[in-house]
Amino acid sequence: MRLGVPSTEHPRIVPVDDYVRDELYPGYKQAFGSQPFVAGPVRPFGKADNSRYWLRDSLHFSEGMVPASIALLDDAQTWGAQLGAEIVGVPPTRGSVNRLAGTHVYIGTIDVDTEWQVQARAARFAEYVTPILADFDRYWGMRAAELQSAYDHFDALDLTAMDPGQLWATVKDAYAFHRRAWFIHFEVMYVLTANYLAFYGLAEEIGLEGSLVSAFLSGRQTFYSKTDEELWRLAARARELQVTGPLLHEPPASVRTKIEALPGGRTWWHEFGEFLRTYGQRTEETCRIDTPPWIEDPSPALYAIGSFLTRPAGFDFHAARQQAIAERDAQIDAARRSLSGSDLERFDQALASNQAANFAWWNEEHNYLIDRRAAIPVRRASLELGARLTDEGRLSQPEDIFFLFKPELYAVMEDAAGWPELAAMIPDRRAYFEEWRHRGPELPTMLGTIPDTVPDPIMIEVFGLSGHFLRTLKGTGQAAELRGFPAAKGVAEGVARVITSVTEISRVQPGEILVCGGTTTEWTPVFGIIKACVCDTGGSLTHAAIVSREYGIPCVVGTATATQAIKTGDRVRVDGRQGTVQVFASEG
Amino acid sequence: MSPADAHVIDLGDIRAADAPRVGPKMARLGQLAAGGWRVPDGYAVTARALDGWLPAGRRSELERLLAEPAPDPAAAARRSERARALVEAQPLPAWLADAVGAAHDRLRARTGLGASLRVAVRSSAVTEDGARASFAGQFGTYLGIGEPADVLHHIRKCWASGYTAGAVAYRRRNGLPPHAHDLAVGVMQLVDARSAGVTFTLDPVTGDRGRMVVEANWGFGESVVSGQVTPDHWVVERASGRILERRAGAKDAWSVFDPEAGRVVLRPLPAGLARTPCLSDDEVRYLCRKAAELEAAEGVPQDVEWAIARGAPFPGGVFIVQHRPETTWPAAEPAEPAAKAEPAAKAEPAAKAEPAAPAFDPVRYALRNVFKVPGR
Repeated sequence: MRLGVPSTEHPRIVPVDDYVRDELYPGYKQAFGSQPFVAGPVRPFGKADNSRYWLRDSLHFSEGMVPASIALLDDAQTWGAQLGAEIVGVPPTRGSVNRLAGTHVYIGTIDVDTEWQVQARAARFAEYVTPILADFDRYWGMRAAELQSAYDHFDALDLTAMDPGQLWATVKDAYAFHRRAWFIHFEVMYVLTANYLAFYGLAEEIGLEGSLVSAFLSGRQTFYSKTDEELWRLAARARELQVTGPLLHEPPASVRTKIEALPGGRTWWHEFGEFLRTYGQRTEETCRIDTPPWIEDPSPALYAIGSFLTRPAGFDFHAARQQAIAERDAQIDAARRSLSGSDLERFDQALASNQAANFAWWNEEHNYLIDRRAAIPVRRASLELGARLTDEGRLSQPEDIFFLFKPELYAVMEDAAGWPELAAMIPDRRAYFEEWRHRGPELPTMLGTIPDTVPDPIMIEVFGLSGHFLRTLKGTGQAAELRGFPAAKGVAEGVARVITSVTEISRVQPGEILVCGGTTTEWTPVFGIIKACVCDTGGSLTHAAIVSREYGIPCVVGTATATQAIKTGDRVRVDGRQGTVQVFASEG
Repeated sequence: MSPADAHVIDLGDIRAADAPRVGPKMARLGQLAAGGWRVPDGYAVTARALDGWLPAGRRSELERLLAEPAPDPAAAARRSERARALVEAQPLPAWLADAVGAAHDRLRARTGLGASLRVAVRSSAVTEDGARASFAGQFGTYLGIGEPADVLHHIRKCWASGYTAGAVAYRRRNGLPPHAHDLAVGVMQLVDARSAGVTFTLDPVTGDRGRMVVEANWGFGESVVSGQVTPDHWVVERASGRILERRAGAKDAWSVFDPEAGRVVLRPLPAGLARTPCLSDDEVRYLCRKAAELEAAEGVPQDVEWAIARGAPFPGGVFIVQHRPETTWPAAEPAEPAAKAEPAAKAEPAAKAEPAAPAFDPVRYALRNVFKVPGR
């Protein structure tokens, strides 16, 4: 065909009909595992899963997944992690796999169990990781620019003006981008964890506490610390403009009307809108297509500002950061003073390498470009499509589209004949989701066979699967004192508030001690009002550990059972240096 | 020519082309001497002498020991210790010992020092100072040796130093055979130095070729080269010879000859000397001129080690001890003051301060100690 000359004839079809089969060879039907997965897609539990461990991931997905979220989970913690581990060549693990209990996510790992594969992976790991660590700023800058340019593209689209073909193409683009974003996530994560874990290992080898390492790497500003700073500033502005009343006393849904009725209200709301344009492109949880970003529903931001207003003094971010940095530097100096000769030399080099490619920083920073944002283009395009399908009478409301699985949606967009049957299933699926949402808090932290140790050091540091954690889960660690990882130093005593989902966060009262499964970026504002933090899961690199240090409150993570052993109203004493939590008699 | 003659060569007979036999360090010194520069006199034992020396049984024992990468640093250290002990314990064959003895007698005669001659015994890797890899600091150097028997012993020690864990790992990394096939040994008159140090014909930090840098201390140059003191520091404008900066170092120690030990050792510097610059401005400018001449002869920037003999009239007492291409900066870098040199600084950040491989490689460490990959 000559280029540039459009063909006016009908396309010629050479039919495949003669070759259509449902088997590859007689007697062989293609299994699930032959889909483009390294190790396997999201599945429900099967009996065979009893032989392995499965950790409830309430850290990232506390409330369960609607059907459309499951494709996003597939992209992220399943496919993304598997492809990332494969390409980077992490020696002990092929990434993570997911199972669902009802609608709730459990994570398992795939150990590499043959010697040859470990060696082959180690070889390519060294080749892959070394140049990236040597020039991390440029490398991450390149990835961040790629992500940002995608957001610029998707955010600029006027979805309502699109014809159906354009809109459907946008849905597909958004899904494709989501998958790409998660590959970037795991590629960078595996590269950086190697650097971090090497420093951690070295620290312990030369007689330092490994738990100090993330403290050595603290103090670098992230997008989220800037967000918090902005929220505090907006709280101060609310005082100046005398619009604190609605923020303190109204439910978020009616705050806007009440504020705009006040003299300074429009000014404040305008400034709040400016804030949301920059900082509001974030959802409450990861891969949850059903959760709106702040810019769509600003309730979480309004709640945070309201809770900050209960603290009259405000929060001096500059002073807190200066202090955190001074403390970090003092800890580094103390560590260096205890070392000499080649130990000191290695420490300095490891520190320099980790300052240049800092996992403790990136682990927080990347969320605004990936975890909390990557699904927003899919959500927006899906909702627009849902609205049109509602107008056409195929769905009864736009959000119904979240109750279709991605393959179902793709199929029915090709062949509309399937709509009635699909639409009929949606009410039952909604009920199923709601039922499991309520059952979430009672689900076990771990299912399957609880191991003595976990070979994957990344699971240990990110999810806190230490030997102690595993022993506690086995029920051999019953005591009035919980033990965990000493994540941020200090001692605090106070009343516990047990929270199992970020959506309950508004129940936390100033001065309480937060007890939860684990925290993510969305919990960050609450650290401005609590006295201490205790988590079931987590290691040195978890969100709660990092943010607690920035806010200067004690924190113990990886206790395994805190949310079960502690009830709201219990008096507890948190020792963030020892990593212990004592539970006293209930006050209420 | 007898094998012994082929393997022990007086400095006066060494030329640049002998680098594959005696190592570039000795080859350059020979070439300098032939060109009329003042260098310490001496002789070299060739790298191939090693081949003719170790008995076959010892060689295969060594090769067995080093055939596989060690599973962990402790094992690597044990293996290298065994290899070193094995090499050091092996006496030199009579023909080689005799040849060294004869060369030493000739050197005593040429210098006119007789039995009071003190020498430096330095290993000189034949691959050393190559365009890309710098072996600097990897192998043994022994200063202040007097007796011929002691010289023989330290030649063995130089060869044994080719089996430190670091050196073995270096060869493995660079795809070289694990045994020290590549070490020659240089024996040179030790200049009784009043002051000694290094001249860089470009600014080693910025790569600026408009500036030259001199670093020096009282006594032997060892204290400067090994980085054990913060030396006196001068920056000189190449074009004008003007001294742009002068910084007195925190010179709390110096390298001196200890007659009791018969060695050069690091000792506290007498308080009177610590704050006194160890060179006059004239000396600094002279050293820079000489280094610039050397650079012009070699065609690429150089770092030049020199020593000023105690009591000798200036400038007659200035000896060039060794010189080598400046490896921190690409040789092609244009000779102009350049902030342009920045990217190169990024590419090889620690090359000057850390000529050897970094002590901590996060990837290797993670593979070995975190992921616990066997054999890594």
